[in-house]
Amino acid sequence: MAVCFFAAFVCSFAWQMLPVWKHEGSGYVTGGTWFYRTKQFGCLPMIYGTMAVAGVALVLAAPLGLGAALFTAEYLPRRTRVGVKVLIEILAGIPSVIYGLLGVLLVREWVYRVFASLDILSGDTLFTGGILLAVMILPTIVTLGDDALRAVPGSQRRAARALGLTKAETILLISLPQSIRGLLSALLLALGRAFGETIATFLVVGRQDNHQPENWFSLRPLLEAGETLTTKLGGSETNIAYGGSQLHWAAIVGLGFVLLVMVGTITAIGIWQGKAQHA
Amino acid sequence: MEIQIDTQGGSAGGISMLGEGLVQVGMSSRPIDDDDRATYPKLHFKEITIGEDAVALIVSKDVWEGGVHALSKDQIQKIYEGKITNWADVGGKSQRIVFFNRESGRGTWVTFANWLYGSSKKAPKVNLLEVGGDDEALTKVVSTRGAVTQLTSVRADGKRSFALGIKELGNVVDPAVANIASHRYPIFRQLNLLTDGEPSGEVKTLVDFMLSERGQDLVQKCGYLRLADLTYKR
Repeated sequence: MAVCFFAAFVCSFAWQMLPVWKHEGSGYVTGGTWFYRTKQFGCLPMIYGTMAVAGVALVLAAPLGLGAALFTAEYLPRRTRVGVKVLIEILAGIPSVIYGLLGVLLVREWVYRVFASLDILSGDTLFTGGILLAVMILPTIVTLGDDALRAVPGSQRRAARALGLTKAETILLISLPQSIRGLLSALLLALGRAFGETIATFLVVGRQDNHQPENWFSLRPLLEAGETLTTKLGGSETNIAYGGSQLHWAAIVGLGFVLLVMVGTITAIGIWQGKAQHA
Repeated sequence: MEIQIDTQGGSAGGISMLGEGLVQVGMSSRPIDDDDRATYPKLHFKEITIGEDAVALIVSKDVWEGGVHALSKDQIQKIYEGKITNWADVGGKSQRIVFFNRESGRGTWVTFANWLYGSSKKAPKVNLLEVGGDDEALTKVVSTRGAVTQLTSVRADGKRSFALGIKELGNVVDPAVANIASHRYPIFRQLNLLTDGEPSGEVKTLVDFMLSERGQDLVQKCGYLRLADLTYKR
């Protein structure tokens, strides 16, 4: 039932976005200019923005999240561990607009002040969005990472300790290698969430159109404003397109489709990795 | 009588939601144009003006104190198009200009672009930082050096945010109430309720209320000009 519904949903997406692919061809995903009045629809800068904010988020959240997962899974006694997990899962349930407002109030200002010496234009940057997303995906990483580590049988740990390995050696040589796929899966699922997050990013990313970095691997553009697929979809252009031309609407629907493909791929790999651990 | 008010999406949201039949009354701070009529051919748009206000360029404190108090239309165009990027070029202190552009579906932006280019459809492609609602725009201007945005003039408090005047033939016209009421200040707009055909029933009750003294007092309370305040010939 759910699968049928989803399939129908994707088909309707595909059908509605057809005009823009006819109009732009592959230029839709490789083009760098988006301006609906001149009928130019290239969403590469938005794909870059999405990857950039999610990448920053993952780099910041992964060490913290995995470290916390190690701590809860390997060091905390069972009762405390359950308590901590509940707290972390509550964090995961905080509406994203709350994070967004905190971002506007605190993180924007902080980024603006800290990087003042680099002469940044404002506190609205891809990096700011990344920091917010890092906070938001942290609970996902901790709780899924903890599950992955706990899935390693306790008998293995006891055997390692019996052979004279220290606690740290047991974690490093037994728990981590055995749960590596599960941990990777936790990171990928968190990345999927970061791709799809809208409102928190929306408020702090600057939403500057067509901002493509000159050097794709340079870090400097992260301190400039940008646009992601979700912030474009969340903006007023969706309203304009809905009441506007068929082509413009198709281009907007196409953004949703590109996002769906990105999130879907990452999540599918994540789930597959997680399953493989238990095989 | 039960009324639900939703303020999402700016004027574009108000128009499209009325068009889709999701609401009985839309709110818009830009006039209905031919495109809207073409999109919703079955709808008989009826615009009921309940007040007016002015759109001003609002700048942050450092810009104002740097000596920029007014700009000419030509200067504003150059700033908007990114041909002038430093306040020093328009008589201020050297500081990069940070333009928080309003989303192009919003009444504020349309009013601004209609004035600047004759028609918002002629506005060129710009890649500026973009902001949504009034609150977001104001917060960001106040907290950024060298910032400017388009915003309803009443939101400038004169302490942390300042409304620029417009230079015309050597004169400066400030967005003061008297200048807006007389339309001497050139960037003004009507605030409209939109209905499908002549309002009737409960919709008419709401519309009549907004035009009544109590409704008009609410308009004034929000900082906008009441219909009775307007001094130009309507």
